[in-house]
Amino acid sequence: MTATKFLTLGDAVENDEFPAVDLALRRGRHVDRDDAAWFGFLSDAADVLEPFYRRFGAELVYRADGYYYLLPTGDRLAKRHLSVAEMLVGQALTLLYLEPGTVEHGGRVRRDQVLAHLATVMGTDALVRALNPKRRRYDERVAQETVRARVADALRRLTALGFVEALGADELKLRPALLRFAEPVRAAADATGALSKLIASGELALTPLDALPEGDDDAEFDPVDADAPVESASAAVTEVAAEEPAAPVVQFDPSLFEDFGFEDVERAAADPGDTDLGEEPE
Amino acid sequence: MTDPSVAQEPRRLLENLAARRVSLELSTLDLCFVAALGLRARTQQLTAFSEQELGDVFRDVCALVQPEAAAVARRATTAIQRLRDQRLLSRVDGAGVVRSGAYALTRLATAIVDFYSEEEALTGESLTILMRTLQASLVGLLEQARGAASEREFSERVAGPLRVTVRDLVDGIERRQRGLDLQQERFQQEIGQLLRSDWFDAVARCQELLEATTVTLRELNEVLLRDAHALVTLLEDIRELAEARGAPEVDAACHRLSEQLDRIGAWGSARQQAWSEYYQYVHRYLRDVVRLDPTRALTERLRAQLQGRAGRSFALVVAAQPPLLVPRDVTLPSERPPVERPRAERERPLAEAVPDDRERALAESVHAALDDGARTLSAVTQAVVERLPAGERFASAGRVAEAVTKLASAESAHERPWQQVDEGIWIEEWSLERETKDA
Repeated sequence: MTATKFLTLGDAVENDEFPAVDLALRRGRHVDRDDAAWFGFLSDAADVLEPFYRRFGAELVYRADGYYYLLPTGDRLAKRHLSVAEMLVGQALTLLYLEPGTVEHGGRVRRDQVLAHLATVMGTDALVRALNPKRRRYDERVAQETVRARVADALRRLTALGFVEALGADELKLRPALLRFAEPVRAAADATGALSKLIASGELALTPLDALPEGDDDAEFDPVDADAPVESASAAVTEVAAEEPAAPVVQFDPSLFEDFGFEDVERAAADPGDTDLGEEPE
Repeated sequence: MTDPSVAQEPRRLLENLAARRVSLELSTLDLCFVAALGLRARTQQLTAFSEQELGDVFRDVCALVQPEAAAVARRATTAIQRLRDQRLLSRVDGAGVVRSGAYALTRLATAIVDFYSEEEALTGESLTILMRTLQASLVGLLEQARGAASEREFSERVAGPLRVTVRDLVDGIERRQRGLDLQQERFQQEIGQLLRSDWFDAVARCQELLEATTVTLRELNEVLLRDAHALVTLLEDIRELAEARGAPEVDAACHRLSEQLDRIGAWGSARQQAWSEYYQYVHRYLRDVVRLDPTRALTERLRAQLQGRAGRSFALVVAAQPPLLVPRDVTLPSERPPVERPRAERERPLAEAVPDDRERALAESVHAALDDGARTLSAVTQAVVERLPAGERFASAGRVAEAVTKLASAESAHERPWQQVDEGIWIEEWSLERETKDA
């Protein structure tokens, strides 16, 4: 982008839009053309804001799909990676965004449509396991309730990040920033290489579950159908290719995976190695 | 049908409809029959159908829609009766049993036929024609209003045309607006369908549809912006004249028409706004999704990624700066002081005081009384206690008796008499011998 309006950082900072845009970007908000005023401001001020944010150890990124966001590359600006639920819901929303049927409604989808699409693509069992990772056995009703709650929570967080816009209680408008979820598979060839590059650039982080030892909660989730479904239970539990270079280890905040206060039929062991706690109660 | 005054009150209208148990139940065959009658009436300029003609039309429709159907004549009879019961077909000859009847479609039936056959949508051209006709009518009415000599003449010349001619024109615009709404909805469905079936090859056709509707809406808005103001001004002029001539029905009709025109104007801007958003969305979609992914491979790869078949797992990184802490002025909370007693010495300081040896004083008093010659206990007690404060006298009486026994020997009769010493003090009397005790 080329700045046409702001020649100095001072001009940009003095603009009325700056405080709100700055705060939003620092909180992870993605800004697209639907945020007309903010997007216009960023388009005009990008040249002076990019070096400004670089001093904070962050990149002001503009994607050709038409959105801006702030990507922390150092430690000066706090960052987090999306939770499993946010990632799953985000990818489902992206699939809906790419769906021609959504075009009919101008990019609007119902909330229940998102969950239905997620369950269709992943399979209900896999979805339930992915969003109840610490439970070896579960009550179906409670687990499904947890799934609904986590999906709703993920939608709320993705809305705050500017991936979708809430239109009333039941409807969502899909926004172009969702295409960020498709970045690793954008390139037709060498998806692994693309993924590694994105991880190296700080765009992506390996999820904590990647680092779990073999035989973790999900692996022993249900021995009856532990074969194919578990493999597709979640993108979060697929194996790391042995030949791939080691990715940076990501410190994660356990609170991101906490149980939101829902009823557990049985809690998984605090220590992954403690298999006794995983025994079915007498 | 329904009285206009009733139509203005939704609750009464609904109650009326419910009370009359109004319903419509039409099969595809029935609808096709009505449509065929409507089209034949229009093409052949028919005002009514004979029973024979109705049967012929039904047979033709049945052959087309349900070719396998048997007993067509009987079906025709029941279909005609069904349409009559639902007030879609009415007998118009009034001959009763004298001869076979003539039937015509009702207004409800023609509206149904119009809805399915004409689908009039508003275009820039049709809106311009309608607006100009409307303007010409209003200009004519304004002239009539100015030329009316009396109140009655005013009402006849202006109120009637306002209620019928002008209102029909405005209704025509609104009807075509609804037609355009339907057309837009169809275009949106068609765009979705085209993308589903042809994907990349559908881009050009999608853009054509988008452009066509965009141009139509732009033209409509231009016409509305240009002409609506002039129409409202004309209506205001007529209203002023109506007020001056005291014609409230004209005033009310003008008011209703103004509201309708406002609604038409609001429709134009709302639709243009909505279509503009849709237009931008679809264009963005065509540019960012369809053109960049002509084989829809991205969707498949993303689907595989979501299913966990794409390799290692990952999560997007986002900035997550906590909200800024804004310092505010420190205001100390108003703490209540703890409950405490005023500081004081627990031990009272010693003070000099005159010794108060009451026992000894009492013994001396007793001794003095005996020396003075008292020889009974009552006399001694009276002599001692009368010098004491009133509150101490009763308590001291016992101690006087004790002191007397130490200073004299006491004797008493077997039955000791009670003797009053002081007010409230009665004692048993003793007689005393001083000398013996002293020894």
